[in-house]
Amino acid sequence: MDVPLYLRPRVDPPLASLLTDRPFLHSLVDALGSPLNVLLPEAVAENAARFRAVYRRHHLTGRAYFAHKANRSSALLRRLAAEDPATVGVDVASTEELRHALGCGFTGDRIMATGPKDAAFLWLAARVGATVNLDSPGELERLSGLVRAHGLGRVAVLVRLSGFEHATGHGGAGTRLLSRRSRFGTPVRDSEALLSALERNADAVEFVGAAYHMDTTGVEEKARALEQCVLFMDECRARGLAPRALDIGGGFGVGYVAEAEEWERWTTALTEAVLGVRPPLTWRGHGYGLRNEGGTVRGAAALYPAYRPTAGPGYLDELLSLPAPVLGRPPATLLLEHLHDLYIEPGRSLVDQCGLSLARVLDVRPADMDAGQYLVRLAMNAGDMSLEEHGVLVDPVLLPRGEAASGDGEPVGVYLTGNLCLEGDLLTRRLVFLPRLPRAGDLLAFANTAGYAMDFHAHHAQRQPVARTVAVERRDDSWRWCPDEDYWPITPLGGAIG
Amino acid sequence: MRYDSITEAIGNTPLVRIDPAVHGLRNIDLYAKLEMLNPFGSVKDRPAWHMARPHLEAAADGDGTVVELSSGNTAKALALLAGMHGARFKSVTNRMRVPEIKELLLLLGAEIEELPGRSECLDPTDTDDPLTHFHRALSDPGSTYLHTDQYFNPRNVEAHAEGTGPEIVKDLDGRVPDWFVACVGTAGSSTGVARVLREHDPRVRVLGLVAHKSDFIPGIRTIDEVHQVGLFDPATYDTIESVTSDEAIDGMITLIRRCGMLSGPTGGAAYQGAVRQLRYADAELDGTGQRRTAVFIVCDRAESYLSYVRQRRPQLLGRTGRGHSASAVTNAEARAEARVIDVDDARRWSAEGDPRPLVVDLRSPHAYAALHIEGSVNIVDEVFEDLLRGGLPFSKRTPVLLACPVGEKSLRYAAVLSRMGHPDVRSLAGGIVAWRDAGAPLVRE
Repeated sequence: MDVPLYLRPRVDPPLASLLTDRPFLHSLVDALGSPLNVLLPEAVAENAARFRAVYRRHHLTGRAYFAHKANRSSALLRRLAAEDPATVGVDVASTEELRHALGCGFTGDRIMATGPKDAAFLWLAARVGATVNLDSPGELERLSGLVRAHGLGRVAVLVRLSGFEHATGHGGAGTRLLSRRSRFGTPVRDSEALLSALERNADAVEFVGAAYHMDTTGVEEKARALEQCVLFMDECRARGLAPRALDIGGGFGVGYVAEAEEWERWTTALTEAVLGVRPPLTWRGHGYGLRNEGGTVRGAAALYPAYRPTAGPGYLDELLSLPAPVLGRPPATLLLEHLHDLYIEPGRSLVDQCGLSLARVLDVRPADMDAGQYLVRLAMNAGDMSLEEHGVLVDPVLLPRGEAASGDGEPVGVYLTGNLCLEGDLLTRRLVFLPRLPRAGDLLAFANTAGYAMDFHAHHAQRQPVARTVAVERRDDSWRWCPDEDYWPITPLGGAIG
Repeated sequence: MRYDSITEAIGNTPLVRIDPAVHGLRNIDLYAKLEMLNPFGSVKDRPAWHMARPHLEAAADGDGTVVELSSGNTAKALALLAGMHGARFKSVTNRMRVPEIKELLLLLGAEIEELPGRSECLDPTDTDDPLTHFHRALSDPGSTYLHTDQYFNPRNVEAHAEGTGPEIVKDLDGRVPDWFVACVGTAGSSTGVARVLREHDPRVRVLGLVAHKSDFIPGIRTIDEVHQVGLFDPATYDTIESVTSDEAIDGMITLIRRCGMLSGPTGGAAYQGAVRQLRYADAELDGTGQRRTAVFIVCDRAESYLSYVRQRRPQLLGRTGRGHSASAVTNAEARAEARVIDVDDARRWSAEGDPRPLVVDLRSPHAYAALHIEGSVNIVDEVFEDLLRGGLPFSKRTPVLLACPVGEKSLRYAAVLSRMGHPDVRSLAGGIVAWRDAGAPLVRE
């Protein structure tokens, strides 16, 4: 066997200290079953504070809206609801998410309704005074119709823009920054129709500002979009409207892998495996989107950039500091000078380090004796823990059952398979290296799954148990827990003191 | 030397010996092949002309557009060559990471398309990637695109096999160097030169240099990226080593300051990588009385990489301050020395003051145009900073009210103006934001 290709997870306190408490985590799974999701509500508040610090550094005001779809937990939402209303809100994309947010303590004015919306969703959002992030002039007309028909108050709206690369007039001559086409939002070139619709429906809606959300890790594209929105809002002001907030979406990213070197070694090895100059390091030679054409690698690796030197608040800081392409001033300066509030929607990065998913090892058997590889079957399936589905490659942490078992044994390469009777139910298509061979009864902990990876794809196929979720908190020397639905941010876990 | 066209000046670049006192090798003569002295400034002039020539001569009506995936020197050469032949040039790239090069390309009349960043949320159904669009557009039967395809075009290698390689042999009096060192970008120069040298003498050792994986050196690919290059064949190289941007800049500085060679970072990387590698061989030669020869390529010139250097080694471009500057004022000094005025008092002062203060808005003209305090003048902070270097820009008899977004920058400038002897300058507390929040009027004219 080669040197083991680890991709060990980045774990900061308090998640790191939770992972060292093996008896506690084993007792949770013994009592509540596998799979099990564990959340740290205090960590989400810490993250919100980190984003606030970036705002402060740039003298900006405005809210971070948590993207509810990243995690359906009540504990996280309730903990965020307890934060300063002026700085933390929630972004909901369905009627049920809206009801949940209200039930967790968010008042309507802290809620933003986004995504595809039906009439009930629009009506409830309007009824409770939420801000509606409009996808198109058509949606604006439907909303205005509801407001008039049901005698509701004026609804605060943001307009979601897209297609910034086609914007004309201000772009530097000869340069076109391409972007992936989005199916959401109104193309900037069609903004005239949007503006006249806003003016026409001014009795029903109050125009608060513009929004964009881009599927890219490219800071330059976002800086360009931000600047185009500032220019758009100036145009709105010239027409007598009074926008005051710019929503720049999320996509600030999370660093999953701790060491750059491990990430680099693994991705290089993938290229070499695709070229056939080293043995495959994936199930059936899967190339994650790379292919070998006559000795040259083609295609793009469909992988989340799992090691990231800057992510989350750091990424926001970088974006706000980058000179904008037309006006030359950094986005933070543009926002400040034009007197705009900044709204952000960090989903994944707001719940960075906020949770983990636990699975019990059911069975271990050889996969390839010559190569020393094993299949490790878990009481969990690819729907319960979908890091792989999101292209995130990161190792689980092995939590042996026995006391003495942690140190002994040799590193071993395993494929993690799920509990469904499907060839495709692999938790990793990648050969995962563990410090020793697991045994039935051990636990594997997948760190940092709170953003999209914990229950985003969970389902009842084949009637396997869906994970329960608990909230945990460190008090004195021990961890306390309660079911996610029983968590409230007003009393310490495990009962009130005084 | 008299030519009819600038293209005739491509090639025949000098081979210059590096002073042993600089590199410290006792038994090896190290030569630099100064490709930066090609007419468009780089080693890419050769393949660009060799690849584009058939296209440009075939499309003599000047209707076509030459396209290439390039963010640097190939684009530069192709843009000039296309321009000479009445054609257009379009570069498609993963990002122009060096701003000067982007601006230079725009000056040359190039059109630039930058590809989007990586997807943040994986979408397995994504078929919309711009590279696919690019190739689709090229294969369109009605397309007038002339694709030079530098990463796969054998003429890229040929240009060096017919030019660069034979020139090195000729300048070494028909001998082949013992080592040839080249950075790997398209692999064109290393492959072409290596082929010719091996034909003369198979004992030549070829060192290919790639960029350290997490690092960025313009013009060099990382070890993973070279595998995406059609011209790259690992068998070309006896050794492949990686270099860091730090080493590249070290090498560049040595070549510039000690050898008089105005090399860019790629040449610096080649020099530094060569010396690092040759040091061992040199030690083994001690006492044997043998001499060896090595050649490396200086790909291009330094001027286009100033911002690259500024970002990574700002001290090399350190400027000493002159005159008054707001950045020289600490926060504590600004708080101690500047006068502030709150919104209510400022409103009264600007309406009833005798004389009334000059209100200076330090924001960008664009923000000023959108909304500002009536009667204020706009001097954007960067310009104001320059003005102050020259002296006090206002009469001491004119009171001044400085305003910026939140009252932080204006505080510094108020402190500087006070230091310069202005008797009555005040900073608007809380800035334009506080002014707006207090409900004071802002106008758009």
